[in-house]
Amino acid sequence: MTEPERQDALERLIPEDFETIAEMEAEARPGREGQPYGDDSLMQRFDRWGLRRFTGWDGVKAILLTTFLLLIFAGGSIRAAANELKPGLGRDIVKAIGEPAGWVADQLPFAETRRELTSWLSPNQQLSGRGFEARPGRPTVLPPVPSTPQPLHRLLVTGDSLSTPLDIEIARKLADQGAAVQVTRDPHLATGISNTGLVDWSKLSSTQAADDDPDAVVLFIGANEGYPMPGPSGAQVNCCGPAWEAIFRSRVGQMMDNYLRGGVQRIYWLTVPTQRDPARKPIADDVNEAIRSEAASHGAAVRVVDLIPTFTPGDRYRDAISIDGRQTIVRMSDGIHLNEDGSSVAADLVLQALDRDFNF
Amino acid sequence: MLFPTVEFAIFFPIVLALSWALMPRQLLWKPFIVVASYVFYAAADPRFCLLLAAITLVSQAAALAIHRTEDERLRKWFTAAGVTFDLGVLAVFKYYGFFVSDVSDTLNSVGLGSPLPLVTIALPVGVSFFSFQAVTYVVDVKRRQTEPASLLDAAIYLSFFPHLVAGPIVRASEFLPQLRKPRDPNRVAVGAGLTLIAMGLVKKVMIADYLGREVVDKVFAVPQAYSAPDAILGAYAYAAQIFCDFSGYTDMAIGLALLMGFVFPQNFNSPYRATGFRDFWRRWHMTLSRFLRDYLYIPLGGNRKGKVRTYINLMLTMALGGLWHGAAWNFVAWGAYQGTGLSAEHALNGRLGRLFPGWLRWFVTFNLIVVGWILFRSTDLSVFGDYMAALVRSGPATLYSVPVVGAIVLVIGLQLLPERPMEGIELRLGRLQPLLLGALLALVVLVVGATVPSQGVPPFIYFRF
Repeated sequence: MTEPERQDALERLIPEDFETIAEMEAEARPGREGQPYGDDSLMQRFDRWGLRRFTGWDGVKAILLTTFLLLIFAGGSIRAAANELKPGLGRDIVKAIGEPAGWVADQLPFAETRRELTSWLSPNQQLSGRGFEARPGRPTVLPPVPSTPQPLHRLLVTGDSLSTPLDIEIARKLADQGAAVQVTRDPHLATGISNTGLVDWSKLSSTQAADDDPDAVVLFIGANEGYPMPGPSGAQVNCCGPAWEAIFRSRVGQMMDNYLRGGVQRIYWLTVPTQRDPARKPIADDVNEAIRSEAASHGAAVRVVDLIPTFTPGDRYRDAISIDGRQTIVRMSDGIHLNEDGSSVAADLVLQALDRDFNF
Repeated sequence: MLFPTVEFAIFFPIVLALSWALMPRQLLWKPFIVVASYVFYAAADPRFCLLLAAITLVSQAAALAIHRTEDERLRKWFTAAGVTFDLGVLAVFKYYGFFVSDVSDTLNSVGLGSPLPLVTIALPVGVSFFSFQAVTYVVDVKRRQTEPASLLDAAIYLSFFPHLVAGPIVRASEFLPQLRKPRDPNRVAVGAGLTLIAMGLVKKVMIADYLGREVVDKVFAVPQAYSAPDAILGAYAYAAQIFCDFSGYTDMAIGLALLMGFVFPQNFNSPYRATGFRDFWRRWHMTLSRFLRDYLYIPLGGNRKGKVRTYINLMLTMALGGLWHGAAWNFVAWGAYQGTGLSAEHALNGRLGRLFPGWLRWFVTFNLIVVGWILFRSTDLSVFGDYMAALVRSGPATLYSVPVVGAIVLVIGLQLLPERPMEGIELRLGRLQPLLLGALLALVVLVVGATVPSQGVPPFIYFRF
């Protein structure tokens, strides 16, 4: 298209109120000459540009078409999203829509076509699914744990949202010490060991061990637990209690095995400090008990970094603790996560534990 | 409930259809839209609905009291009471921890101990935005720029879900007139709305989150571990990320409102083509900058009380504007930095335009804005110091890739192009048939969804504010 043709084409787009594009632009600019605070909201811009030309029902039809296309191409995503939501009315509604939508999408070829066409855009491989075994067999032999401190070249800090900003604090402290340790930070927000809908930590732990090849792994996870999990018989087991804890413990054990079999020398697993909401305590108790007991069965390869004595002594929640003689807020306002000051304290505990086993 | 979620994808079509079905019957539509907005807000935490309702009731009471008296002294008192309540809510929920920590530190250092309990308070999402809108309502009534609305209209104004959690900050005088009669169902900018929603999704998920993941989060987490090439890339990448993140949200908010027949003010106008700080603030988060101008800078005296007071007013306005972004000293410092830039421009009184060519003014302004973003993104002033040290440390470039550099150049470069071609494209898209755009929107959602990593979609940057 030549320049005059292009100008002609543009001129045809100008609403009737204006004669030239320049006039239209001048009207649309905030702070016109001599009118520093003119029409700074540009509330009339859609009228002036001639864009209010459809009916409200045109919009409804367009959005319904969008929804319909998304249902047949990605109905399974709604079902998966429902599984990731916390129990409650919202989850029930999404589930009530997601189940039939997922069923419809499963019967049609569109979802598969969509996956084939867009898989190259995905930044990482599919990590959701059912990688955990219901009855894991303990691997025959795990690699031996080095008896003397080894050099630390690569450290992976991972987990759910609890693991950040802990990961940043650890990386900063190591950098400040001049340690030549490559820290890989890999937080997976909103994920949980008991919920494989978004990320299956069995798969992810194997992938991380293979891809990142860390000497040591720091794990801080437990903010999104409490989901029902299938038991040995296949029936769903609700949280909390010995049956749920046993399944959770087996999953924790499988993750530890995956890392160790993947070449990780040691795992540093942080317990979940007591949370403000008392309703979350039974979940945290089961999670922590599973971590402790499974770490004990893995011997020196897994160290538990227990945060409870530092952050919530006596298992009693508090926002602030004494750091260097002064009271400091260490929790975020949600009463679950550690803030930067708290993460800094936790990072010191992790580095102390690392210092016993590694040279860096 | 966030826009790019499955819950919202279920919520919005139902609300949109019911909204247009009920629109001719305003007695039904108005309670419906309030309930829908509160349901939207309750998805975050139902307890916060009480706070939103309290702000609505108090602001409405203040507006009515102001309107019913001609006594200027009483009008001032009622205005002060309403504004104090609105800002008091913001202060308690957003700044209590920050204030108490700093006071506690200071008093501890002189051996006096902590006078107030050190506790954290959950920050209600969107409180920074709806408390400011409540202020505009009370003050606009005081200034006789708008009449007090009915309680129901005030509730819609403050809770209307497209702008509830992260703006744009719509003035009462812009929104309330749109409630006075039903929206015309035959004059709806459907094409523009759908186009903005699609553009917002692409900006947020495909560009902002990508740059955050690949560059920004890494460099800003441990600047000590990087050298100048990566630190420079990180700074430009953050400039592109924050623009795409926030303007992407705004695009979606404006687009959703358009589909419901409502118009919101413009919030961004190619900010990185600014040739000065003043120009930048007329293009960046325009609804906040005009709020600061109209409800803070001008009431402080603006530029009417001499040069020194003008500079003080500029510094104070921008420092408080910085603090609005977050309860941390780096935001105050960022605001002061912006205030210094505005004051310097004011002092030069337009001489820059005569002394330097446009391209040079753009180059200097853009890079000064990027330095400001480093301060803004740093979690504290020590990180800022580490980042500035990284900017002059020699070393290898480890984070460069064609998609990363391409995304940065695209985001900044498109703002520098002559505006006609871009406007032409937007106008053409906005005029396409809605069903075609609906299909294109589905395609965009599917493509954008495929780029979401297993770590999920991070929240919008401005949700923290």
